[in-house]
Amino acid sequence: MSDDDALGPDMHPLLGFLESMPPAADQDTLERLLDGRLDAASAPAGYGELASLLAAATAPATPDELAGEQAARAEFRAVMPSHPPTLVPRRASVPSKLLTVKAAAAALVAVLSIGGVAVAATGLLPGQARRVPDQAPSTPAAGAAARGLGKAAVTDLDNATQGLCRAWQAGKGADNGSRADAPAFQTLAAAAGGSDNIAGYCADVTAGGARDHGQRPASAVGPDATAAARAGLCRTWQADKGTDNGRRTDSVAFQALATAAGGTDKIAGYCADVTAGSTADHGQGQASPPSGSPPSTNISPPSSGPPPDAGPGGHGQGGPPTTTGSP
Amino acid sequence: MLGSSFPELLAAAQGGDEQAFAVLWRDLQPALLRYLRVAAPEAAEDLAADTWVSVIRGLGRFRGDGRAFQAWVFTVARHRAIDWRRQAGRRPTNLVPVEQLAERPAPDDPVAAVLEAQSTRAALALLAELSPDQAEVVALRVLGGLEVAEVARIVGKRPGAVRVLAHRGLRRLAKRMEAAGLARGVTR
Repeated sequence: MSDDDALGPDMHPLLGFLESMPPAADQDTLERLLDGRLDAASAPAGYGELASLLAAATAPATPDELAGEQAARAEFRAVMPSHPPTLVPRRASVPSKLLTVKAAAAALVAVLSIGGVAVAATGLLPGQARRVPDQAPSTPAAGAAARGLGKAAVTDLDNATQGLCRAWQAGKGADNGSRADAPAFQTLAAAAGGSDNIAGYCADVTAGGARDHGQRPASAVGPDATAAARAGLCRTWQADKGTDNGRRTDSVAFQALATAAGGTDKIAGYCADVTAGSTADHGQGQASPPSGSPPSTNISPPSSGPPPDAGPGGHGQGGPPTTTGSP
Repeated sequence: MLGSSFPELLAAAQGGDEQAFAVLWRDLQPALLRYLRVAAPEAAEDLAADTWVSVIRGLGRFRGDGRAFQAWVFTVARHRAIDWRRQAGRRPTNLVPVEQLAERPAPDDPVAAVLEAQSTRAALALLAELSPDQAEVVALRVLGGLEVAEVARIVGKRPGAVRVLAHRGLRRLAKRMEAAGLARGVTR
């Protein structure tokens, strides 16, 4: 559609007619009608019915127009939590969010602090490293809980497994299909001795709390897990650099990173080494997201700008504008 | 419109807060649905849902104020409507010669429904009778609450062209209403 359409030949037969319309103050009247600043009672002759029409068109919303809310909410729930590998339960209720953050924080601290101890999931960490700083600012209570529990987890590795189990249990009954594919739950399955055994295993873990470590089959983690965790943390840290990094350094995860780097101010250099090495060495740190969720490269900073809306033909790729005032 | 609470709601929704998203949704959905009832009447509900799917997926990357958000949502909706019309091989109602307007029988007499019952659906049906260009611009201005410059960006025309289209659309509607009203003896 070009500007020519506005004055196209098909309109020419109309022009004579339009010139017979009441010309006085016409444009001003029309603009006021378009802006909703003119009601039927004060509209000039010939525009009263039009004003009534526009008033009817902009009448207050009716219940049937809001009937799609539950469907929209369901879509929101399905899409929004799926940035990291789905340790996050699809139903983002507050309690499950808290559990998720706890689990992630516990797993991260456990792996970073005591490398080689077989508890946390290799694939879980990079994605979850993103989730922890993401969630913490959004819900202060959750952030505080994550920090508090993260410290406790250093002395109680069982919390990591328990967190995974609780996350798994919270997601049960919801759409668990894709969740079973998540690396975190694959690890859980490995620990339980098969995905069929997770329920029983987790029942024991969460009920017993402090369970004998010896009975838990060690999932192969070792040095790779720490390397992957570091790489994930570093990528998150790098991605968020330039944005509001102040509060990030408060989180347990980044305190651990600072410790590993030998100080907050050494993180940049440390991470440059770690990520360079990890991308070259192993792809294990990159948790592959379950199908249907966006790639974990969403970690890239928002300031890079989204693609423009795909326009005609492109479905589901509507990219938002990034600049205020020029939509 | 949400006004000053928008930034907070947007940030919360971007963080995964479903309640905040629901507030944004309720604020825009009626206008969005009405716009689509004009732009693609037979598929309005589906296209509104499709629009929100796109908006949700792009939400995390959105930067801007409430007006920019509104404009973005309508931009997405417009693309969905264009897609749909192309795929369906349909257009909203073709331009009807003006001289036939008075005689043209309205399916369910939407003019009466508007004048006597203030029917929103009938009003939207009348807007949908305009040429696609006019209907789109009038709908974005009136239903979307968007200003000339915003509509111009969305439809890719100059502001002057947007004004002309909107004015012509309204004049046609005024004539349609007046003629039908006269025919029915409903005059003001």
